[in-house]
Amino acid sequence: MLNDFIRASLLWIYQKKWLLLIVLFGVVAYWLPYPDSISVRGYRTLILSVMVIALIITEPVPLPAVAIFIAVLEVSFRIAPAGEVAKSFMSDSVFFIMGSLMMAVAIVHQGLDTRLALGLIRLTGNNINRIVFGFVGISALLSSFVGEHTVVAMMLPVGMTLIRFSPSHRPIPNMTALLLFAIAFGSRVGSVGTPSGGARNAIMVEYLRNSTTDGTTLSYLHWLIMAYPMVILGIISTTLLLKMAFKPEYDNLDTAIRKLKIQVAHKGRIKGKEILTIVIFFIIFLCWLTLNERIGMGIIAIGGAFLYMATGVIDWKEISKNTNWGIILLFAGAISLGVQMRDAGTATWIGEHIIAATGPLTDRYESIRYLVDIFLTTTFANIMSSAGTVAVLGPVTLHMGGNPLYMALTTAISSSFGYFTVFAAPACMIIYSSGLVKASDFLKAGWRLGIASVLSLMILYKFYWPMAIVLTNFK
Amino acid sequence: MRFLVAIKDTSEESKNILQIAVQIAKGFSANLSVIFCGQKSRAIIEGQVALTRLSLSEWNIYHPGIEVLRWAFETINGFGVFSDNVLGFDPAFFSENLGRLRLILPDKSGSYVRLLLREGDLVSELHKETQVRSYNIAIIGNPENKKKIHQYAQFLNTSVFIIKNFNPTWNYRILLCVDDSEATKRAVIFAAIISKQFDAPIHAITVSKTKRFGQNYRDASRWAEKYLHRKGIPYHVSLLTGNPVNTILREAALDHIIVMGKSNNNELIKFISGSKPIHTAQKSQTPILLVKS
Repeated sequence: MLNDFIRASLLWIYQKKWLLLIVLFGVVAYWLPYPDSISVRGYRTLILSVMVIALIITEPVPLPAVAIFIAVLEVSFRIAPAGEVAKSFMSDSVFFIMGSLMMAVAIVHQGLDTRLALGLIRLTGNNINRIVFGFVGISALLSSFVGEHTVVAMMLPVGMTLIRFSPSHRPIPNMTALLLFAIAFGSRVGSVGTPSGGARNAIMVEYLRNSTTDGTTLSYLHWLIMAYPMVILGIISTTLLLKMAFKPEYDNLDTAIRKLKIQVAHKGRIKGKEILTIVIFFIIFLCWLTLNERIGMGIIAIGGAFLYMATGVIDWKEISKNTNWGIILLFAGAISLGVQMRDAGTATWIGEHIIAATGPLTDRYESIRYLVDIFLTTTFANIMSSAGTVAVLGPVTLHMGGNPLYMALTTAISSSFGYFTVFAAPACMIIYSSGLVKASDFLKAGWRLGIASVLSLMILYKFYWPMAIVLTNFK
Repeated sequence: MRFLVAIKDTSEESKNILQIAVQIAKGFSANLSVIFCGQKSRAIIEGQVALTRLSLSEWNIYHPGIEVLRWAFETINGFGVFSDNVLGFDPAFFSENLGRLRLILPDKSGSYVRLLLREGDLVSELHKETQVRSYNIAIIGNPENKKKIHQYAQFLNTSVFIIKNFNPTWNYRILLCVDDSEATKRAVIFAAIISKQFDAPIHAITVSKTKRFGQNYRDASRWAEKYLHRKGIPYHVSLLTGNPVNTILREAALDHIIVMGKSNNNELIKFISGSKPIHTAQKSQTPILLVKS
């Protein structure tokens, strides 16, 4: 009996070792003497931030529990009163995350992927080069508006079916990797194009709005103008670099395309609900373009979810079952922590220390500041996903000096550089766990894309953004 | 009886594990559960991964774990396990139950083969599985490191059969380790059944650190001898002197399946410094069955 209890306790320790270490860190750090350069509230927020990042990376508790942990410690550490903490948990970007996740379920539920497959085949034919370009291009263009996760859910079945239908008399590892990475990385590069491309963009817009005293903000259209060239450059570089990394075994996929056509042909003509799904999304997109500043992106997104339910495109049961409510709660908590980091001066303190670590270099070369931002964000994005990275790192990068607008865009864009690990994005996780690509393939393609993406971003920062601001009369 | 077999992939090693598991399960008339633990995605992207998997399943592209279990089904079917009325493997028949996906298929003996899919750390998931359903033996492949063997042996509240370097073409013999521990009698019974299944003679050894063998050791050895004799199993008994772990490993060489009882020492002491069975399992180069009392 005692032995059973000891065994159960030891197993619990084995499974929760990170939780124990994180709590131990928190307790020790809380009782350590505080540095003079930061307020007591700021220091406690710093402790909480480190604990939260560690909890998200090591996952010893469910993620919604991390959100609850943030709320409890914000009040217990006297970082903010309970009422203020409660308020900071809900914002327009949380509405946006909620709405876009619900809309994703509605769109994927309609099976528009077969239509997409047919359209894609008509455009590209059976030539492998055109198919890869088509996969990257369509994934990027769509994900810039409907979000990466929706596009991945629609495009991956098409790509994986093509691979399944490919001639199997000899192994085709390169072509497999080429097609799958075209979708995974294509949707990555596209997701930075507009604020609706990913939760991280919406979070960054929120942080920027709250961080600047002069009211600098980014409308949907402004973001699109500033960031879309990155998508165009990304489509070109991804297509070329993937083909350099994985030389396909075949020049064309006529057998696979023929079989795919037969598979999707049975769906028949496009149905009313499918048309309605597209029309509603188009309305939402127009609202984002025109009403975003007046009523907020989040309200429009949940309005879209309402329309999908009201028109019977999807019922609540389906949405409720397939929406990850825990992640919404986590982002609500992370944004709340971001607010406290800003208010308590923690973000400024960390930002200044990071820049101070670069020494006089930053004073001489302004670009260093942005390169540091890119390095930090890319590193975290490859460990803890893009949205999580922006949620916890966004307030810090906005306080690293330089132009806050540029910093916001640099952080949001570089959070999509998750090319190196399988954990960075859902598409990466799925193609890896399918056994069709190896972990080393991510590095093989990733280093090329990583360098190309950083160069593209620096070109935008140096030449395009100043010009775009002047031309659009952006305030 | 219930056996739990964990497979890692569709490799030759996994095929060997299934073969040995099927053969032993026959001997024990046991229900077989085959489990595959897939890699868990980061919780932060879990919902999005689930949505994509849902979409993939509409195209008949299933969770990679389902494909591994399909392979397991076909492999086991090749051993002639399933009854004739089993039509085939259909992923649509998997149902979610107690935190895992499960498919139950009848076998020829009238019992069932369960195919189970879980995601996460193998030690934790096997522990969860043994919590929701009791198993008599957990059969696993060679873990990636010695620490894992320690964890399996300690945290799985069942007998653990670690299949290391199993070669189905070899004629294995059984090395039965007998001492005064609580689990010895059960180990002798298990060894006898396995011996019959593999048509393998048993070498029952009792190892003492000193030249003097205590009464308990002699009694245990005598009991094992009597039992094996009664069961009509070819055997010979040895009383050996030396370091127990090294002696067992030397006697086992590469062509024995080691069967020994799990230690009943204090769990905390086992956690810190291990035990004889744990050290033997860590150093062994052949399959080893640690029998729980």
